[in-house]
Amino acid sequence: MKLLQPSSLEELDAAGPGLLLAGGTDVVPILRNKLIDVDTLVDIRAVVPRGVDGTRIGAGTTLAELEVDPQIPAALREACASAASPQLRAMGTIGGNLRQATRCWYWRMHYPCFLHGGDRCYAQTGVHREHSVFANDRTASAHPSDPAAALLALNARVRTNRRELSISELYRLPTNDNRDVVALDYDEVILDLEVPTPEASTYLKAMDRQKYAFALVGVAAARFGTDVRLGLSGVAPIPWALDSAAGLDDATPLPDNAYKIQIARALIERALEAVG
Amino acid sequence: MARLIRTEKEVEGNYTEQWIVVDEDPVAQWPSGPLEIVGRPLARVDGAERARGEAVYTADLQLPGMLHVAVLRSPHAHARVTQLDLARASEAPGVRAVLTPDDLDVLTREPGYPGAAIAAVAADTYDLAAEALELADIEWEVLQPLLDPDEAVQQGSLIDEPERYDRGNVEQGFAEADVVVETEYRTQTVLHNSMETHQSVCQWEGDLLNVYTSTQYIWGVRAETAAKLGLPEDKVRVVCHYMGGGFGAKNHPGEYTFIAAELAKRTGRPVRCALTRREENLTTGNRHATIQRLKVGAKADGTLTALVGDFVMAVGWRGFKSWTAGPMKMLYHCPNVSTVEYGAKVNTGPNAAFRAPGFVEGTFGLECLLDELAAKLEIDPLELRRRNHSDSDLVDDRPYSSKNLIECYRRAEPHWEKRDEVRARSNGPWKHGIGMASQIWFGAGGPPSYAWVRVGSDGRALVVTAMQDIGTGTKTAMAQIAAEELGLPVDRVQVSIGDSARGPYAAISAGSSTTPSMGPAVRAAAHDAARQIIEIAAQRYHKEERVLSLKGGNVVSADGGSWPIEEVTGLLDDAQILGKGARGPNPTGMRVLTFGVQVAEVAVDVETGEVRVDKIVAVHDVGRVINPLGASSQVEGGVIQGLGHTFSEDRLLDPNTGAVLNQTLDAYKMPTIADVPEIVTDLIDVPDEHLTNLGSKGLGEPPIIPTSAAVANAIRDATGADVRSLPISREEMLRALAEAKEKEKTREAPTAV
Repeated sequence: MKLLQPSSLEELDAAGPGLLLAGGTDVVPILRNKLIDVDTLVDIRAVVPRGVDGTRIGAGTTLAELEVDPQIPAALREACASAASPQLRAMGTIGGNLRQATRCWYWRMHYPCFLHGGDRCYAQTGVHREHSVFANDRTASAHPSDPAAALLALNARVRTNRRELSISELYRLPTNDNRDVVALDYDEVILDLEVPTPEASTYLKAMDRQKYAFALVGVAAARFGTDVRLGLSGVAPIPWALDSAAGLDDATPLPDNAYKIQIARALIERALEAVG
Repeated sequence: MARLIRTEKEVEGNYTEQWIVVDEDPVAQWPSGPLEIVGRPLARVDGAERARGEAVYTADLQLPGMLHVAVLRSPHAHARVTQLDLARASEAPGVRAVLTPDDLDVLTREPGYPGAAIAAVAADTYDLAAEALELADIEWEVLQPLLDPDEAVQQGSLIDEPERYDRGNVEQGFAEADVVVETEYRTQTVLHNSMETHQSVCQWEGDLLNVYTSTQYIWGVRAETAAKLGLPEDKVRVVCHYMGGGFGAKNHPGEYTFIAAELAKRTGRPVRCALTRREENLTTGNRHATIQRLKVGAKADGTLTALVGDFVMAVGWRGFKSWTAGPMKMLYHCPNVSTVEYGAKVNTGPNAAFRAPGFVEGTFGLECLLDELAAKLEIDPLELRRRNHSDSDLVDDRPYSSKNLIECYRRAEPHWEKRDEVRARSNGPWKHGIGMASQIWFGAGGPPSYAWVRVGSDGRALVVTAMQDIGTGTKTAMAQIAAEELGLPVDRVQVSIGDSARGPYAAISAGSSTTPSMGPAVRAAAHDAARQIIEIAAQRYHKEERVLSLKGGNVVSADGGSWPIEEVTGLLDDAQILGKGARGPNPTGMRVLTFGVQVAEVAVDVETGEVRVDKIVAVHDVGRVINPLGASSQVEGGVIQGLGHTFSEDRLLDPNTGAVLNQTLDAYKMPTIADVPEIVTDLIDVPDEHLTNLGSKGLGEPPIIPTSAAVANAIRDATGADVRSLPISREEMLRALAEAKEKEKTREAPTAV
């Protein structure tokens, strides 16, 4: 395997296709378990900004740095603090977090599933208690990122080396032609995020233990004036936006995960109350 | 003179008769209560070296020229290997030897569970071995797995004969009952997940085999390995100085030991066979799932009249039925009991003993059932248990050697009495409650077990016995016992363990037996040495032996006079005082058991199904406590492991293929420190006057037994919801809450006309 370490955006452009490496907290296990076939690793740490400047967050900023930064809206701070373990947060970057792979056990065990390019989702007829209750017809995998749900509620914008797009445009439901959940080109790199400052925001998370677990359901709420935005993690193959708890009526749970809807309803109600 | 007697040995409910040699003069028990060193808290004698990383575990061992093994394992739960060719693998870089099922009988062509070992490769590094395995040419005929334990029982796919137990007449018992409760409980499969995975390093020296292994039973590994290889037992030396956890799964050598031994023989090199975390969680054992269909009958005053249990256990492809019916048979004074236990043979990894196997599961069922009965009878759950207390063992019709369960209940009472106060803390969606559950288990230990004590002219003592400390702190307890008997400060006593070639036979560290088996032997050996020191001192200082004793590093005379022990031993020069001791028999015709009760305080978020445990009070009766600090650490470990079993741990199987879906620690969720509540340990600490020269029973298993039932009962107290299935995941909690709400509605609704 080849490791490239570009020191400028020009060198990055010249690097060609490869798997991007920043904190390595997801890339290393994926490579070790041979889940993705890759010949080139591109270490982007020298070209991706790190640090917070007002409402701008460098994509190379670690979750540990974000969770304690007073400039960051509460929803994002709380989402970062509730993610993973201190060790992982000290390494994992916000850019990498937005692009992390699913935790679906079938995908992680390399079943030839829809997301691996196969023709079916094994979770739908298998064990799916941790899986999606929305948009789960092709794949029932659930998006694991806590910060992504917060950024969705916060209506963040993403700047890459090619363009600027909203966080909701960053994600796409996988299709037969394209199994990716992120709408970026293979050589596109998230450089920074622009996060508007809400009047109030919060992130609530239900998990199987107190710490170090992916969200069964995560709910972020942010209020801008009278407008309240909601972002959910753990309920769909991508971070999921809802206008209100009523949106839960459209969920399509699998036989063993309807409980997530009940949790989501309670957390939405609490989050709305918290942001006033 | 040595005396040969025939005695009864009991390990976890199984009695065997055996000959043992006992010393002529048994040593009298010490008085109850804390002594100079025994009964007082002591930090682990090897704590610093463990914390500093200096302790060499099997996983740390590096021998010159050592090879590493990767094992080819079945990806299928049930399959047949139709073709296996390792020619390309054996030519891969760094490969020194390969093994197929033709070479070794622990390898198979007919795997019955995912992870079953098919072939093995030894190479210069683990990575080279693993890469070589990818070159194995193998073809499978995949067979339909049988996964459902009820279906297996119906089909007659059983591990062994069903076990039936009857006493009294349950039909009559139910006829006498005013109230009957019938319920089904389920427990899940959980994995041991010791920090150190199962592993051995094998090295031949001529015809002598050195086995460095992570084990709970040095002498068992020696015997089983010798038998497997057709060697005299003294040709196998087993070494385990430090051990990274076993919890019951490391009682035997395991296939990895035989693979390493064979590959070491073929290559002439030391060979390590160490399992990865994934292999660990596929193949080395588990606490098997259970389905418990239970029925209880009682009179209006709470007197139990009948207990019936039908237990189905998903044992796996091999293994044994855990004693899930044990608590139902043993815990209460119920004259009519009928149980049947089925061990389903299914296409899952073999089970292994796991910290109080069967009793953890059976106590969850029985103690939840008792609380459901208490609710129906409107009797206080603690009072219900007191009313059904048993003064003697009804299974074998024997008296208990000692039993202080009523005292445990008394000490639990102040916590239990806070029920109203705790319930009053309920606020919004958070409902608070208290629950309790009783504990019964074995823990007598037994003979044979031996120890030697050597005292040099410098007045320092070395305890030598080939036992293992599996992380429970027994090495520290042995140092305390020897120091107490020798009247030496504990820092003048060293303990040498962990090597079958250095020291006499020592018991298995399973069934809560290390301290009750080994402690009396160590004390007897120290007593033998102390006697000799006193004899020498009596001659040196012209005193009668009966007035002399050893205390605080001195020989002390009752009629005045005190001399440092090293002044006496200093006379010896290179001569040494050698003491030897053996574990005496267990009391004949008595049942030696441990007892206890735990009280749990919980809070339940009835909207999201989140459960928070605020406090666990653990009151246990295990006889004399040697080291209160080590004991509370054991209790805390047991409770935490119990909470993992209660809430978040669950080995998940794909229902179609039988694949284990959560083999790694991100997906298989053990509790973290953030999940640990306040744990209050209260040990009765009264010696069992009939048991050995110590009166100590084992404590390893008791604290994990009642935790899940106490928590489930607290949840019922807080919310009225009956959780009947472990783990109490969000979905199980929300299901139980919805069911309780439904029941409430039916109760309130006017009866249809």
